[in-house]
Amino acid sequence: MTWYLVRRLAQAIAVVFGVMVLTFILLHMEPGSVARAVLGLKATPARVAIFDHLYGLNKPLYDQFGVYMWQLLHGNFGISYQYQQPVSTLIAQRLPRDALLLGLSTVVALVIGVPTGIYQAVHHNELVDDAVAGTWFTLYSAPDFLEAFLLIALLCVEFHIFQPTFPGGISSVVGVLTDWRALVLPVFVLSINSVANFSQYSRSTAITVLASDYVKVARAKGLPRQLVLTRHVLRNSLLPVITILGLSLPGIVAGAVIAESIFNYPGMGLLFWQSALAHDYPVMLGGTLVIGIATVTGNLLADVVYGVLDPRIRYVSQ
Amino acid sequence: MRKTRRLAAAAAMLALATVLAACATTSSKIGSGPTKVAGKPLNGGTVTVAEVGESPNFIFPYPPSTNSNGYNVNLTMGLWPYLVYAGDGGQSIVNPRESLYQSLTYSHNNSVITMVLKPWKWSDGVPITSRDFTFVYNLLKWNYQNWIGYTQGLFPVDVKKVITPNAHTVVLDLTRSYNPTFYTDDVLSLIALMPQHAWDKTSLSGKVGNYDETKAGAKAVYAFLQKQGGIMGTFATNPLWQVVDGPWKLATFNSNGYYAWVPNKSYSGPDKPRLSKVIWTPFTTDTAEMNTLRSGTTIDLGNLPLNDVSQTSDLEAEGYVVGVLPVAGVAEIVPNLWNPVNGPMLRNLYIRQVLEYLIDRTQIVKKVYAGYADPGNGPVSTLYGQQWDSPLEKAGGPYPYSPSKAIALLKANGWKVVPNGTDTCQHAGTAAGDCGPGITAGEPLQFQLMYTSGIASFDQQNAAIQSSEAAAGVKIILKPEPFNTIVSTTGYCNQQTHPTSTCSWQLQDYGYNPYTLDPSGAGLFNTDGFGNYGGYSSAKENQLIDATEYGSSSAAFFAYENYTAEQLPYLWLPNASNIFVFKKNLAGITPWNPFSGTLNPEDWYYVKPGS
Repeated sequence: MTWYLVRRLAQAIAVVFGVMVLTFILLHMEPGSVARAVLGLKATPARVAIFDHLYGLNKPLYDQFGVYMWQLLHGNFGISYQYQQPVSTLIAQRLPRDALLLGLSTVVALVIGVPTGIYQAVHHNELVDDAVAGTWFTLYSAPDFLEAFLLIALLCVEFHIFQPTFPGGISSVVGVLTDWRALVLPVFVLSINSVANFSQYSRSTAITVLASDYVKVARAKGLPRQLVLTRHVLRNSLLPVITILGLSLPGIVAGAVIAESIFNYPGMGLLFWQSALAHDYPVMLGGTLVIGIATVTGNLLADVVYGVLDPRIRYVSQ
Repeated sequence: MRKTRRLAAAAAMLALATVLAACATTSSKIGSGPTKVAGKPLNGGTVTVAEVGESPNFIFPYPPSTNSNGYNVNLTMGLWPYLVYAGDGGQSIVNPRESLYQSLTYSHNNSVITMVLKPWKWSDGVPITSRDFTFVYNLLKWNYQNWIGYTQGLFPVDVKKVITPNAHTVVLDLTRSYNPTFYTDDVLSLIALMPQHAWDKTSLSGKVGNYDETKAGAKAVYAFLQKQGGIMGTFATNPLWQVVDGPWKLATFNSNGYYAWVPNKSYSGPDKPRLSKVIWTPFTTDTAEMNTLRSGTTIDLGNLPLNDVSQTSDLEAEGYVVGVLPVAGVAEIVPNLWNPVNGPMLRNLYIRQVLEYLIDRTQIVKKVYAGYADPGNGPVSTLYGQQWDSPLEKAGGPYPYSPSKAIALLKANGWKVVPNGTDTCQHAGTAAGDCGPGITAGEPLQFQLMYTSGIASFDQQNAAIQSSEAAAGVKIILKPEPFNTIVSTTGYCNQQTHPTSTCSWQLQDYGYNPYTLDPSGAGLFNTDGFGNYGGYSSAKENQLIDATEYGSSSAAFFAYENYTAEQLPYLWLPNASNIFVFKKNLAGITPWNPFSGTLNPEDWYYVKPGS
């Protein structure tokens, strides 16, 4: 197992490095001047030259990449051209907030999705199965901005139950948690889009598990239904969910542009979007690095948790 | 806040233009807001102002040349106001009452300025003196290239020497004569004083000295202040930034752009704040802001996007009053006179005249901007500066919408006109009745118009232009692009240099150009102007602009204005106004100052209704 982890870690580093190289090249292939994108249409040639010199943009590409990697090895993600702040600061401000929002919504989706998936499997092909599946798919196929606007119109504008946006004064994760009236709608909107994923994967696996011999034996031995469902069906139905969870980790750190825009929740999604528009390479590269690490970490965690949940899966040295 | 517009704030104002100029097709009418609210004025209270888009990231009032964030002025203007305060009520004039100077006298053929400062004090009780001015001058003299507000050839490089005969008098000996209006309105209005007694140091723990008096010292102090000015975590706590001469002090600042002002109890100026706090709260988008306004919660003053004008009655029901703020600036389509394909065509004045005759600006104002826009008759907005409008502009400009005149012009210049088709040049050549230099026989009259995408009003405006131009056979191909793409791919194109890589654009509408108090064309229409990226060049235009900057004739401005309106270095477009909403028990907000906009909360106060 240890050797397996070492090997996967080495692969992960290689993958992240490859992603960085590719992203660096692609970003620099974008047409247009970074300096002019940041300084505006009326930036004089002298001012553009100062900008290019300050950020090393007048050096050859391989030089720029070398400098960037050297900085990175020293824990320096660079300075954002647009925000004039260290990229690490920008990410450190936004990442925990997104992790909270998207993490919470994933948990909510999981808590709703898996039990209903198993419930559907138990009532396979009954009316209730179709009704629940229809509901989740309707919510899944509806655009999240539409759901957000409808909920805001109803619950905030009409009945003043919740706050439609996060107050600008909140800058910390603790602050977000204390203002729960602003947190309800974004968490709900983001989670109802994911419930269908979890419920349908759980449902199909649970149908297979319910038909398996060991479940039949357990029930024939007289084990109570609830015990069979929780001890045998639930645990085995979680395997595909683990895969989805592992794959959602990069999504959690990448943010959610639309929800962030509508609910006044400045996070990683808006940061990347605005940085992409402004040719803000350091932020784009820093974000890519974080998402790359989250992707390989998510995959690795999923693989490891497989082994924990299913004793039949073991990783051996080759 | 005028240089704001031309310099650091250019980006912000463009952002505002894009955010606020979102479209409307509704016919809801909005008043300009009450100048007074009935009731007894109250002292105290908090006003929360919504700010959409970017946030300030620099507090030292002289940001580096690589920081073009115009929102920084929003943060600093109430703390360190400019020597010359632009705008008085709703008028585009200098406000001597709020300015830091007592008197400004121009002498020696307008090459020497004697400025007497008012006997005001810094917030720590130390008097504001001429030494504070020399401190600013010394720092900028050695660091002007690293100041975003520096304009080629102007302050501080145009100063031969600064003399301070006494503690409140500054004599500026300039390298040349200036038009006093221009220098006061467009140069001195950019200068904020700095407290030499508190800031002339090179480290936080170091002692204050006279470091600025040497080149090395001035560079070290400037570098130190700029470094401190970028540390967002200490904006509200750094003792440097607590010494102010404006009506406000910074009480809170979060790196997400949320900040709060509290009154400077030692403010010497005439309008002492009555509010106990002003909060500036950031919003990621105008959608988020609008949702908050509609829910009637935390915002006391905010922008209303034009595409939400139809919701004014809902907002009024939530306790808001709606007001319109004309924008000081000029909106335009920039023609690239050096585009390799049709630049030669655009260099013919009559082609630009045809294009302008076919823009129905009146209908665009009415239908696209619901009436809340300057008509765009020429280079100067008619809404914000009546005193600057020549009779020609007041009368609608030289090219009011007229398809018949456009068609006549085309026919008179050898074109075969095909309404709703594409005109072609029939008589190539340079003689009278020919198409003109650079235009070949059979060449189609068509242009690609690149404009900022994602803004409904821009889509509607340019679709309207495409349609009205087509009526005379001028084919406009629309190409919406993100604002940053336009900015980053648009190069300066002129006779000397027009590489295909950055000069392939033909017509461009990216928003508007913000103006200073003196809406001079310097920088926009002179041959080497930093905003003249379409390559328009005219010796007469240069002379006329120079006359507004350096001459002394009061007639010079109208001469410049009329010539520019006629020459069409830009195709003139309507310029959308900003619409704001504010709580109805909040007074003193209107009339809006066209330059400081919502940055003068020292004039605001709550009233007790019915008292």
